[in-house]
Amino acid sequence: MKARIGGIVLVAAQLAAAQVTFDDLGRADPSNWLTYHGAYDGQRHSRLRQVNTGNVRGLAPKWIYQVPGAHRLESVPIVANGVMYVSEPNHVHALDARTGRLIWEYRERSVPERGANRGVAVYGNRVFVGTPDARLVALDARAGNKLWEVKLAEASEGYWCPVAPLALRDRIVVGIAPGDDGLNGFLDAYDAETGRRLWRWEAIPKPGEPGSETWAGDSWKTGGGDTWLTGTYDPALNLIYWGTGNPAPDFDGDVRKGDNLYTNAMVALDADTGRLRWHFQFTPHDVHDWDAVEIPVLVDAPFGGAPRKLLVQANRNGFYYVLDRRSGKFLLGTPFVKLLNWARGLSPEGRPIRVPGVEPTPQGNKVCPPTAGATNWMSPAYNPDTSYFYVSALEGCGISYKSHDTFLPGGFPYMATGYVESPEEPWQMHVRALELQTGKLVWDHIQVGSRAYGAGLLSTAGGLLFAGNDQGFLTAHDARTGKPLWHFNTGQQITASPISYAVRGTQYVAVAAGGNVVAFALHEGAGSGR
Amino acid sequence: MIGPILWLALQLGRGAAGPIDPAAAAEGRKLYNRDCTICHGLEGTVGDRAPALAGDRRFLRSSAEELYDAIRNGIRGTGMPPSPLADAEVQNVVAYIRSLRAPAADTVVAGDSERGAAVFWGKGDCGRCHMVRGRGGILGPDLSNIGGERRPAALRDALTRSGRRLPRGYRPVKIRMRDGRAIEGLVKNEDSFSLQVLGARDLQLHLLDRSEAAEVIYSDHSLMPSDYARRLTAAEIDDLLAFLARQVDGRPQP
Repeated sequence: MKARIGGIVLVAAQLAAAQVTFDDLGRADPSNWLTYHGAYDGQRHSRLRQVNTGNVRGLAPKWIYQVPGAHRLESVPIVANGVMYVSEPNHVHALDARTGRLIWEYRERSVPERGANRGVAVYGNRVFVGTPDARLVALDARAGNKLWEVKLAEASEGYWCPVAPLALRDRIVVGIAPGDDGLNGFLDAYDAETGRRLWRWEAIPKPGEPGSETWAGDSWKTGGGDTWLTGTYDPALNLIYWGTGNPAPDFDGDVRKGDNLYTNAMVALDADTGRLRWHFQFTPHDVHDWDAVEIPVLVDAPFGGAPRKLLVQANRNGFYYVLDRRSGKFLLGTPFVKLLNWARGLSPEGRPIRVPGVEPTPQGNKVCPPTAGATNWMSPAYNPDTSYFYVSALEGCGISYKSHDTFLPGGFPYMATGYVESPEEPWQMHVRALELQTGKLVWDHIQVGSRAYGAGLLSTAGGLLFAGNDQGFLTAHDARTGKPLWHFNTGQQITASPISYAVRGTQYVAVAAGGNVVAFALHEGAGSGR
Repeated sequence: MIGPILWLALQLGRGAAGPIDPAAAAEGRKLYNRDCTICHGLEGTVGDRAPALAGDRRFLRSSAEELYDAIRNGIRGTGMPPSPLADAEVQNVVAYIRSLRAPAADTVVAGDSERGAAVFWGKGDCGRCHMVRGRGGILGPDLSNIGGERRPAALRDALTRSGRRLPRGYRPVKIRMRDGRAIEGLVKNEDSFSLQVLGARDLQLHLLDRSEAAEVIYSDHSLMPSDYARRLTAAEIDDLLAFLARQVDGRPQP
């Protein structure tokens, strides 16, 4: 039936209520997945329990959205009030999270694609996304209109932005890539309303600033230390925690003698000013490309007999770290992979006790874990019910080589060569559960046939741990034992982290696989554990 | 800094893109209406023996070089003969034909874009529904690049002609839900089972199951008024068109 509609009253856009507030972000209602990590603490733990160990066998695909032209999405979908936002370089897609139907699509014109895009941030009625030419763009969350854009850095110098921004109170925090080209990293905060820059924290101190003494000569100028994964936030302390990338040139430390602060470090920044509160450097003077951007997970738990605000991280260098997130004090560090040959352990201050000679050479030298890392961008998870920390781990070694390199402005690799897989230790992916306070291995699931990393983890109050792999399998494990309870072959490599959300009483689990977003829910009639 | 020669080469390489010299196009128009209309129609319309050169039809020959070649050398196997015009004259005709097809941003539009901005945000009330560079409403299409997308005639039609085709995502709908709610808005997407609607009153998204709707009433009439010829003076419409023609992504704001 068709009829003319008369008298539709139009109202001004600004009258519409803000959709996502700072309180919403802090509360992290489990029906939404409002930030890259689902919540500020980075635990990737959904409090939804409709899907649980008792019924997960009934989990079935509900819809698939194919992102046109995409083949390797690393986007973590964001869900706000029933709308899912998925990004890839130059594109944002807004989907009906219950049906997978497209609501709007935003396309950047004439910008060459570069690297990945790991997701958007939402705040108010706005969606924020980084671009391959190093801009931050604000879109209207309901219609996809571009509201403002700011240049983070000069794209012509080689900068780009794969980072999912982090929305705080009235401000958007975003990092930058790539340090491997000798471009120095920074972390920026922008006014969510206007796009005005509020502060910038530079990852590489300039001469005269504290930390500059850790760079020989002019090497700080091309020091790297970028900020390409999303950090976490403690609203009570008002501190942002962000991991920094490796120094450049990656494999040749001779030209940049010193500890090379603040590369390969965890930094705690005041969210209002961007000032450095404390730092902890995991791999001083790194020569293995071991970015420390892995997710800092914030947990309040007893440690040494007293309640403590902890920050834990499974680092690319193979160690699991427990820090006090008020002070940055090192509390514990222990390997979470068996293949680790570069350090004998950590000093009482957390500094690695290096094994002499385990570094890249012109002829090649075995280094375990390899440059790919014992883990990498794939997110870990923490389950407060089990008190286990979960991590996607790679067992393997690399043969690392070193040469001389000359810095070229414009975005060219400044790495002084690289690495190959060691043939003696075939790479193998694992999903592991560690005891939070000790790092002790609780369970270990071998992802048979998986030799390449990429897929992150999701914990749920249903007692489940969701993991993906390069073969396209999404798997649900018993969070206590690691036993696989359910699996599904999505048919495409998974290099993103799964999420969970709920619409109208139904819990969904969704993940980007290859060029698709796939959403699962309990098959109707399979029984529910509501 | 990009050299002028390289710039020219880039413009030619892009075919129909790039600014058109209005003086050349004006000269070309005279030549075209004098020499070409025995076959093609006046002002680029369809003629007795040859197709219209303006309009949305996609021609195989569209770049400046291709048009020049067709006029200079004719098109073998068709009735299109080589032209006796001097080279400079052929270039002028090329400029005119390109101007017939060019988006508003690349043509000369009468009117004052500053006064047009005042009409857009004021008397015309366009900004209630349309956004330009982050300012305005979200019900209508974002017009921040409209000058690069539409020809001047299409912009004028949008303001003054009724019965235009509704673009996807902007069809009005009125839905009576089984629970008694009424939703009015625009269909952003739909299928046999669901509807994704942007509410016209609350400006929020309504993601609905079709089974929950008692009645779905579509309209074929855009929410966009078509009577600006009555609402605005001819000069105001010209000014508004000049403002719209200036809206191109990536170009400095007028």
